[in-house]
Amino acid sequence: MPKISVTIDDKKLDVDVGKTILEICKESGIEILTMCHLKGLTDVGACRLCLVEIEGINKLLSACTTKIAANMIIRTKTEKIKRYQRITSELFFAERNHVCSVCVANGKCDLQKLGYKTEMDHIRYPYLFPECNVDTSHPWYVLDHNRCIMCTRCVRACGEVEGAHNWNVMNRGYQVRVISDFDTPWGESVTCTSCGKCVHACPTGAIWPKAIVQGQLEKKPEIIAELIEKRKMNL
Amino acid sequence: MDNSTKRKIVISPVTRIEGHAKITLQLDENGNVDDAFFHVNEFRGFEKFCEGRMYTEMPIITPRICGICPISHSIASVKACEMIQGITPTHTGNQLRRLIQIGQALSSHALSFFHLSSPDFLLGYDSDPSTRNILGLADKYPDIALRGIRLRKFGQEISERITGKKIHIAGIAPGGMAFPLTEHNRKAMLGWIHEAIETVEIGLGIIKQFHKENEAMVNSFATSPTLYLGTVGPEGELELYDGKLRFIDTDGSILQDQLDPARYLEFIAERSVSWSYLKYPYYKPYGFDKGFYRVGPLARLNVATKVKTKRAQKEFEHFKKLNNGNPVHGTFYFHYARLIEALYCVEEAERLLHDPEITSENIQAHGRWNYAEGIGCTEAPRGTLFHHYKTDDTGKLTNVNLLIATGQNNPSMNRSVLEVAKQYVKGNDIQEGMLNRVESTIRCYDPCLSCSTHAVGVMPMIVEVKDIAGNVVKRIERN
Repeated sequence: MPKISVTIDDKKLDVDVGKTILEICKESGIEILTMCHLKGLTDVGACRLCLVEIEGINKLLSACTTKIAANMIIRTKTEKIKRYQRITSELFFAERNHVCSVCVANGKCDLQKLGYKTEMDHIRYPYLFPECNVDTSHPWYVLDHNRCIMCTRCVRACGEVEGAHNWNVMNRGYQVRVISDFDTPWGESVTCTSCGKCVHACPTGAIWPKAIVQGQLEKKPEIIAELIEKRKMNL
Repeated sequence: MDNSTKRKIVISPVTRIEGHAKITLQLDENGNVDDAFFHVNEFRGFEKFCEGRMYTEMPIITPRICGICPISHSIASVKACEMIQGITPTHTGNQLRRLIQIGQALSSHALSFFHLSSPDFLLGYDSDPSTRNILGLADKYPDIALRGIRLRKFGQEISERITGKKIHIAGIAPGGMAFPLTEHNRKAMLGWIHEAIETVEIGLGIIKQFHKENEAMVNSFATSPTLYLGTVGPEGELELYDGKLRFIDTDGSILQDQLDPARYLEFIAERSVSWSYLKYPYYKPYGFDKGFYRVGPLARLNVATKVKTKRAQKEFEHFKKLNNGNPVHGTFYFHYARLIEALYCVEEAERLLHDPEITSENIQAHGRWNYAEGIGCTEAPRGTLFHHYKTDDTGKLTNVNLLIATGQNNPSMNRSVLEVAKQYVKGNDIQEGMLNRVESTIRCYDPCLSCSTHAVGVMPMIVEVKDIAGNVVKRIERN
């Protein structure tokens, strides 16, 4: 594969053509915060956490959806980026009803970890306190919209890996919601195979197994990429 | 009586209790107490906002009601979940829960006696209010204060060594426990037993000495007879974790025995009053006026026939002799009863830690939603606690009823306050020590108002004497 030269955080690198900035950073051990990215799934740039500064471009671009190009000079940890990441994490918490202390994912939640990483000691924006439904209709799993951050990892895992397309997105702006089929209760879905990939893909306590309580949640998001690799081997 | 001649005294907030409340004393024209109101003026709303949640979340949500007895809430809740699932916990799961519950009772009783109440006994009711607290105690009796603090630490360490956290623990799960107990932690807990027994016995010595020196006061301190409710084992023994309910009458005769807690609504009804957020529960067959009953340490010892552990049984026998085998009605004896229970807790903890199955990995049975309704009951440090859930056919909660110990003591607390106020508050010249006696009546019950309603903010201690028109004619500020 042809190589190109780029500079990331003052470090000169020879990297493969055709990859995203995020992929290059991950390969080179440069940490970038992400929430909607999950290895194996198509990146959509939804969470806006992986923003990077590129010299010559006057706006921040998402590393997960921007392809690397020759002679790019990229910065991943400027004060501006840190400020934006802090704002983004605060907005995640302000948008819906996240109560870590009673959440099934407490201690094992990517959103909680993000709060620590961005040093979020308080939230400067008014909480919206939306009235969100808790869908308990599925016999094994629960979908709690209060804890959903609209990363859409469940939507992509269901469509791209399982091929069931049970999950979709409805509405826009703050009213946006993940829906099952045509906004039917999950338990009544005709497409869901109950495979549980969405449970593992979800980075928060929005989708969780009914059988467990706080302290027992074990999500394995890495199985999504592993499944894809195993299928390639079978072929 | 002409209302225009009445005066009103307000004590707000009542200090050294969990949560906040105020007392209003209504005086007549001669300065004698005419009536008393124990107000709880905060509101929480757990019963409402838990509706719509999955029932299995309740053992984690409801402990947030209170930082003193979160484990009791978790246990009552998890029992309700197990009734919904139709499963029973494993032996080890049950024993670990019992151990955690005992740890919490010990911690709470240590807090109530050593931190909150012992300053009255050791420093005196009429001592300077600014030092009549745990810090004042530490100054004058450092060894006792330190022992009290360490006893509470032991109680909390039991939770920590089993679940990793001291207060709002995770791991009490339907079917048992989520985490096993390690051998290292078992041994570490056993290391505390000797010191804990010594400390409780010191506490017993303090209270007995106080009884001896203040016999007249102790035996006349809010002594009106009430009914009692508590949990007992199959042979009528004291139970703090699991068992059946027993109601006794004012003379000690058994009204209901080996009552399944799931039938609580047949025997307990609640009524709201306009001047407090705390409801008035009562024994249904006797009606609202005659059905006052009490729960908590005094009630548990009054309903129990025996205590399973050796040292506590000896003290229990002494307790029973106080009223010749009849129920002990004196509210002041709550403190003594609490310490007897603390002794039982330490001995029971030692027994459980020697159970060969306590470190087993077989800690949880598994189930799923099977029934639409579940009722869980346990003995919180302050008394019998009920959690009652109704769900739809997916497990989503449609109705939540929480019957809290302090709520059940509320009618009796009111009456006790009235009795003590009549005895100690006379005339418009209100002395601080007199008011403290009224407050200490409340403290006997060790009420947890944040449990039964909510606690918001901290107010200075203000006592106001008001005439019937609401004009302040006298005002005392503590801070």
